[in-house]
Amino acid sequence: MSRIPVIRVEDVLIASVLEDVTDSDAVALQSELGHQLEVRGAKGVLIDLSVVGIVDSFLGRVLAEVAAMSRLLGAPTVIAGIQPAVAVTLVELGVRLAGVRTALTSDAGMRMLREGRAGGRHVGRR
Amino acid sequence: MKDPVEQTRAQMVDNMEDQRKTISELQTPVIQVWEGILALPIVGTVDSARAQQMTEALLDRITATGASVVLLDITAVPTVDTAFAKHLIETIAAARLLGTDVMVVGLTTHTALTLVHLGVDLEGVVTRTTMAKGLELAFDRLGFEVVRRTPLVDVAHP
Repeated sequence: MSRIPVIRVEDVLIASVLEDVTDSDAVALQSELGHQLEVRGAKGVLIDLSVVGIVDSFLGRVLAEVAAMSRLLGAPTVIAGIQPAVAVTLVELGVRLAGVRTALTSDAGMRMLREGRAGGRHVGRR
Repeated sequence: MKDPVEQTRAQMVDNMEDQRKTISELQTPVIQVWEGILALPIVGTVDSARAQQMTEALLDRITATGASVVLLDITAVPTVDTAFAKHLIETIAAARLLGTDVMVVGLTTHTALTLVHLGVDLEGVVTRTTMAKGLELAFDRLGFEVVRRTPLVDVAHP
């Protein structure tokens, strides 16, 4: 069972990655998001990394995969709250998260998804 | 009795040490030019230690100010080589992970040609020739408009 809950707010799937995230948590998050997107779909996915202080290449790869998968399932992904040290580590590990939008805070990430600035087609209802 | 040549040499080494210290003390300044816009002028050559220090300073300022655009000014970088390009790309990638757009400004024909000849791929990085042009683009991205009007205070007779 995943220790990272996926919640739905305003049709956006939000997952807050835990400080001590394990490899199996990351994989479970991947399948949970995939399942949610397949069954109900969503306007976007927001992954919050603000409490994560250490990342390894596995987590980096899973995040890149999650983003690519979500895009294929029609929901752009925004990764928010990456700490400076984590950003440096990811770059050193060669994880560039190309094609994934990033935001300084979850708040900014949510705004990006709502305004359809996160890539992917956004059809709003007025 | 000391050899005068040896003495001059020792003095020169001392001078060089002092200069090196001064240079390392010159911190890389990250300047907030506007709300949401940071500028990082890079002066002189960049080795990996300096690149690391630069990246750290920049990322810290981004989180502190919540900036969404960064202008990296390379006007004062004398020579561009593959190592410099690698540092530049890594700094840009790290800043992007925080959710900030990075533009490289201050490119000259010479720099641009060198980068092309070196086969450096700056794809996806917005570049401009001057800081002014970069700032204009940053204003546009953030929805600011710069309008010229008659000054309220006469500069010649304040």
